[in-house]
Amino acid sequence: MPIKKILYVTEFEELWFDALQALMDLKQAGLNHVIFLHVIDRKEVAMQRGVGYLKSEEVKLKEIANVRFIDWAETLFEEGMEVGAHIVVGNQVPKIVSIAEDEDVDLIVMGHQKKGRIQELYHGSEIMEVIREVSKPVMVYKFLQESGNVNDKPFKRPMLAMDWSPSSMNAVSFLLSIKDIVEKVQVVHVIHHKRLETLKPVEVQKERKENRKKLDELCDRLQSEGIDAEPHLYVGNIIEQLEKAARERKASIIIGGSTGEEPLKKRILGSVPRELSEKSGFPTLFVS
Amino acid sequence: MNKKILIVDDDPDIITYTTTVLEENDYKPVIAKNGEEGMNLIKSENPDLIILDVLMPKQSGIKIYRELKTADSYKNIPVIIQSGIAKRTFLRSQEALTEFGGENVPEPDAYLEKPVEPDELIDSIKKLI
Repeated sequence: MPIKKILYVTEFEELWFDALQALMDLKQAGLNHVIFLHVIDRKEVAMQRGVGYLKSEEVKLKEIANVRFIDWAETLFEEGMEVGAHIVVGNQVPKIVSIAEDEDVDLIVMGHQKKGRIQELYHGSEIMEVIREVSKPVMVYKFLQESGNVNDKPFKRPMLAMDWSPSSMNAVSFLLSIKDIVEKVQVVHVIHHKRLETLKPVEVQKERKENRKKLDELCDRLQSEGIDAEPHLYVGNIIEQLEKAARERKASIIIGGSTGEEPLKKRILGSVPRELSEKSGFPTLFVS
Repeated sequence: MNKKILIVDDDPDIITYTTTVLEENDYKPVIAKNGEEGMNLIKSENPDLIILDVLMPKQSGIKIYRELKTADSYKNIPVIIQSGIAKRTFLRSQEALTEFGGENVPEPDAYLEKPVEPDELIDSIKKLI
């Protein structure tokens, strides 16, 4: 799963060139091609009563995006990178999905900024639609943190949210593909508290022991592949505990599988990736 | 017979404009809307000259130019770069790629920064074919 080509989706609100530059560590993991994508929302140029399609507005918005992309591209070209750009009018999700597939990128990077409640709901659902529709890993990059600091080394201290599903094992493969830029990975499994409610004390201990053993084995595997790894077992509400673990372990990003234990990704997206991508204060990256 | 000129550009307005200028001057334009399509048409159409954009989907003009100038079959086809990307950047990127172990490639036959005037384009073409 080498990360050679990324699709960098920007609305020129949350992700600018500084955030892209922070991803250039991926060059050590093979990155050599960046595709920029700016989708002009159809609503911005759509037909309005008595006005019609705002062609001049479309031209203006495209030119603004073009000027920005040319400036970004020039910097990357001079570093020997391959660069491409798409500036399109339409609905965000289908455009991202079709261009990601057409360009055959290895990773999609999107931004996410806390907005008003309605916008949050709308934008959050766009992110989830993309994760649901594409077969590519999707990173929601929260470059500017709530503290006001920037997260400019997102892959330095990843936290792997492990639920033992096939997609979370694919997340392990993803981590291995970027091992040269990972300093240390925290591998976290959360036992849902409701699951424990029905178990006897001895069964709880058994559950803890089994998961801990699997975590140790996984960390041993990561260590043998050259990544320093540390296992952690948490108990409670999965979303809350993963967020807590990321904070406690000073994670730079949360990485996991996108489907949870559900096999039908198109129909059922795991609630963990959905909640974390929308609400977590950390960048997230989910692999299908 | 009219000389065949391949335009490789993803901007429909630039394609329309350049096509019109070429046809008015008795050239035969062939169009590719991205880098990948451009490479395929270079192989199938054997153009007399190529007008190449730089920042495009699929494959950039920088990569295409490098492929052309390092291939015996195509390296003698004249290339005019027509782009918003500055010439200085184009040359530096080629230098960077050479430093990474690629072959040294010559400078383009002409470099026109967008927007390009019709006379500027036609003069450049006439000097080359």
